[in-house]
Amino acid sequence: MNTVEVNEVSKWFGPKVAVSEVSIGFGPGVTGLLGPNGAGKTTLMRVIAGLQVPSQGSVSVLGRDPRVDPSIYRSMTLVPEDEAIYEHLTGRQFIELSARLAGIADPKGRAREVLEIVELTDAADRALGGYSKGMRQRAKVASALVPDPEVLLLDEPLNGADPVQRAQLIRLFKELGAAGRTVIVSSHVLREVERMADRVIAMVDGRLAAVGSVATIRAAMTDKPRQVFVDCSNPRVLASELIGTSNVLGVQVNDELLMIEAADAREVAMQLPRLAVAHDISISRVEPADESLESVFRYLVEGR
Amino acid sequence: MVLTMHLYRRLMQRSRVFWLILLASVPGLIFGIAGIDLAPDDLSEAFVGIMLSVGFTYAIAALILTVSTLRDERDAGTLPYLYMRPIPRWSVAVSSLLAGILAAGTIAVGGWVATVLAGLIHGADMAVIIPGAALLLAAAVGYAAIFVPVGYLFSRSVLVGLGYLILVELALSGLVSGLAQLSIWRIAASIYVDLVDTTGLPIDEALGAVAPGVGGGLVKLGVVLVLGLGVLTWALQKRDAL
Repeated sequence: MNTVEVNEVSKWFGPKVAVSEVSIGFGPGVTGLLGPNGAGKTTLMRVIAGLQVPSQGSVSVLGRDPRVDPSIYRSMTLVPEDEAIYEHLTGRQFIELSARLAGIADPKGRAREVLEIVELTDAADRALGGYSKGMRQRAKVASALVPDPEVLLLDEPLNGADPVQRAQLIRLFKELGAAGRTVIVSSHVLREVERMADRVIAMVDGRLAAVGSVATIRAAMTDKPRQVFVDCSNPRVLASELIGTSNVLGVQVNDELLMIEAADAREVAMQLPRLAVAHDISISRVEPADESLESVFRYLVEGR
Repeated sequence: MVLTMHLYRRLMQRSRVFWLILLASVPGLIFGIAGIDLAPDDLSEAFVGIMLSVGFTYAIAALILTVSTLRDERDAGTLPYLYMRPIPRWSVAVSSLLAGILAAGTIAVGGWVATVLAGLIHGADMAVIIPGAALLLAAAVGYAAIFVPVGYLFSRSVLVGLGYLILVELALSGLVSGLAQLSIWRIAASIYVDLVDTTGLPIDEALGAVAPGVGGGLVKLGVVLVLGLGVLTWALQKRDAL
């Protein structure tokens, strides 16, 4: 059963469309919201959180509209992407402030609990301004955990965290998901999402690109033809040899540069040394051309 | 109250408060200097009048301070920590206005203390202490009611506020009698002149079409406050928080 429903939501800022006609539901467990920078993940998060008004469509969280009913914030919290935090407050003061504003009966006690959960107890009485980026992220997560929310929105929560902190936060998010909370985590790093999410929603250019399990998304990405640039002494000879193989779908030659489009990039990597030796060609550089997440997502959306 | 105190503390950054109190103290500083050359008989009259004529610098201090009440949170990106709380929007609006009023009131007290000290030094009539405080506190309420919503609604809120002060308060409210009722300074001054002896002072110039009177002044301030509260509640509900 979905706890968060996004119905035909679009959000535009003047002529710029940040989110376009997105309809999706989120249920208990960890869902990864994946996409390159500028894909519309943060805007979608803010619309769900009630921080931004959808230009079109509607959002429902636990059956309520966050724009109309602020009592939803007893059950939904957000860890914003912005690094902003109250630098003059100590970690403990920040969490206690969050607890007081959330109407928690024992703000000091709850602050102790959540600081313990994110392992910030030792640094709790230091000013947030002196925290490292990873510690700030944990303080923001602690603030979001204060009301023990049913729905937790995490916008790039691992930014700036070191590997140990990442592992710790990922474990925490997975535990929350396993406990039946709806955890929505946005990230532009597939590996991060892969480690914590049962389900992935990929966004590109404000639209949904793919929805499914991590394995499904991975498979879709593997199906994509790969482009490889090769800088060599005789690209024309190399191109003519490659074009006859079943793995290579196309070649282009520009000056000394050869662009190969192949079904399997690894196979190209094995073919190249053999052909270079056979035809006495020196290869100075081999580089995949389209490995960025953006190009992978674009392929998912547009098939190119 | 938690939200009010949080916003108030954030507004009361030491460096900013120092300069704004200095700006609000301009009438006191001027009186301190000008009083040296005044005859004893003229001192009290000048002391009563100086708040009306030069006290407008306080409006600028109040503007700079109160537009920051929610604007600072929006600009810094910390607004979600306050906005995403189970607090009705009208209550957030009330807390924000209260914080703005408290902050503007603090600056007012600072400025007034400087003016009173200058009066004491020159031996002026201290009967204006309470009315003078009432003038500045009434202005604090009025300006906060206008500028806190302005700060939330406009990214260039100081410019918008200055536009109001220059166009409405300084220019139009003196020229068009109906617009005088829209001037917070004139409304606050109407309370002041009702409480002090203003014989010989250019009251018409200071008040325009606004009639002197504590009761009328308070009612007008109440209306401004309710309007400010309404606009801010609407903005918090209907406009993007980030």
